[in-house]
Amino acid sequence: MKLLNKININSQLFKLLRNKLNIKPVPFSDFNNVNSVSVSDAFLWRTDNGFTTKFKYSDILNLFFKIKNSWVEIHFFSKNNKFIKKEKFYNLNLSNELIINSKYLNIEDFGSFYIYHYSNKKMEEKNVISNRCYLGFSHKNNLYSFVHGNTLAKFTEIFPSNKIETDIVQTTAFQNNNYTIQKYFDNFDKTELFFTNPTSKKIYFSIEDKSYSLSPGCTKLLSINDKIITIRSNCLFLRPTVFSYKNNYYDVHHS
Amino acid sequence: MNYFFGVNNNIFKSEIQIPRFRNRSLKTSNLKLFKSFPQNNKWIIEEVKEDLSNKYFYLLKKDDVTNKDIFFLADKKILASFNNLKLEHLNDFTETLPAYRSNLKIFIEEGGFSSYQSEYPHSMTTKKGSILSAINSLANTNADNNFIIIKNIFVDPIEDKFKAYIVNCNSKKIEEEYEITTNYTNLIEINKKLIKHDNFLYTKGFLGVPIYISTKNKFVSCEHTHPPHEYILSNNKFKKIKELKDEINEIIK
Repeated sequence: MKLLNKININSQLFKLLRNKLNIKPVPFSDFNNVNSVSVSDAFLWRTDNGFTTKFKYSDILNLFFKIKNSWVEIHFFSKNNKFIKKEKFYNLNLSNELIINSKYLNIEDFGSFYIYHYSNKKMEEKNVISNRCYLGFSHKNNLYSFVHGNTLAKFTEIFPSNKIETDIVQTTAFQNNNYTIQKYFDNFDKTELFFTNPTSKKIYFSIEDKSYSLSPGCTKLLSINDKIITIRSNCLFLRPTVFSYKNNYYDVHHS
Repeated sequence: MNYFFGVNNNIFKSEIQIPRFRNRSLKTSNLKLFKSFPQNNKWIIEEVKEDLSNKYFYLLKKDDVTNKDIFFLADKKILASFNNLKLEHLNDFTETLPAYRSNLKIFIEEGGFSSYQSEYPHSMTTKKGSILSAINSLANTNADNNFIIIKNIFVDPIEDKFKAYIVNCNSKKIEEEYEITTNYTNLIEINKKLIKHDNFLYTKGFLGVPIYISTKNKFVSCEHTHPPHEYILSNNKFKKIKELKDEINEIIK
């Protein structure tokens, strides 16, 4: 017992073992060994089929840390994780928004993007900030349906560096992690699920009896007809963004 | 342990889908669904009829939900031992990762719908505090109307009034003030002039979940804002949030 008490149950080795054996798995890595960092979700953009995306984000460094003159960078990727563009935004308000349409990205499709906060001011204490943000999706200029960020994916130092790290979400050797979406998909005309791989590892998953794979950073769209949706994967936190349609209306939420 | 809730007023109705399984396994539980609501300073408990469910979900329709109701899963024995003076942590069934949630669908009759994965943790009911939420994060100046649902659940069966404010962080002024009620699904309308980048919703005395709803041409969007501690993952999160809330307390005092 004394020996057991000496084992740090949160040690990386212990977590690895728990995840491998699927015994109370730990889906996320911690930020113990990093400096002050800005963490981004894997956000979905879509400009296909008449959709426009609105992105709303706060100036966290000003709001909580009173750091003026901070800026953000937003990095856009295609569904195949091909880099599209990077944009910097200065002179931030406490709350800001960006319209992402086909003209802005010069593409009608879907993919992922990431936001990072930067400051030239060295922070005295360690700060790990995470802007969960909000995404609105408008179909044919109708009302934006909003959903918040859903999956922590990448991080970088707040004091600018070129290194962007990933693998906050953990994967396992076997495809033995089940997640059933807590919604009964009944009476919808159509349901779409958008998956983005938040890791640097290839993700394998299945829904019902169909198998799929998702390379690092890639985004996949699946149309699903099942009333109960169970995802079996080698990823410990794989929650798609859901689009449900009924008559002329649509609803977007995380799962 | 999580509670679930809905909304039922003259603008919005709701449906709640509560899983009978933990999300990492489809094995269903024998726990029953109960609803509770405050009445004359006591919690009333009632079992929800089994016919409102299928194998995997309890499916509550608009007429099954009032603004006072909270729903939770518990063993049937709770009817004999329920503490009607204080909500208690009854079981760990809803302690899961990813979080155990219901699907809360808010809709306009003869119109659109919007949902989010919703829960109200028991741990939130035992604390007093304040909501801090950026208005511009989810309110929409292009919508016809904007509303905020403020759901509070407090352990004691009280139906007390408390204040919600729209405060401006830069001018340090109160821009609007509302009276809302504990243990209730409150609805406030947000005038478009209040949708500014530096305006915040703030409550004094009680916690709650703020859910923003916007409507246009019978389309509906609803989503909740994150509590401030979700933005800071380092150990200094509570210190930083307290500093910000102290600033706002200075505005409303």
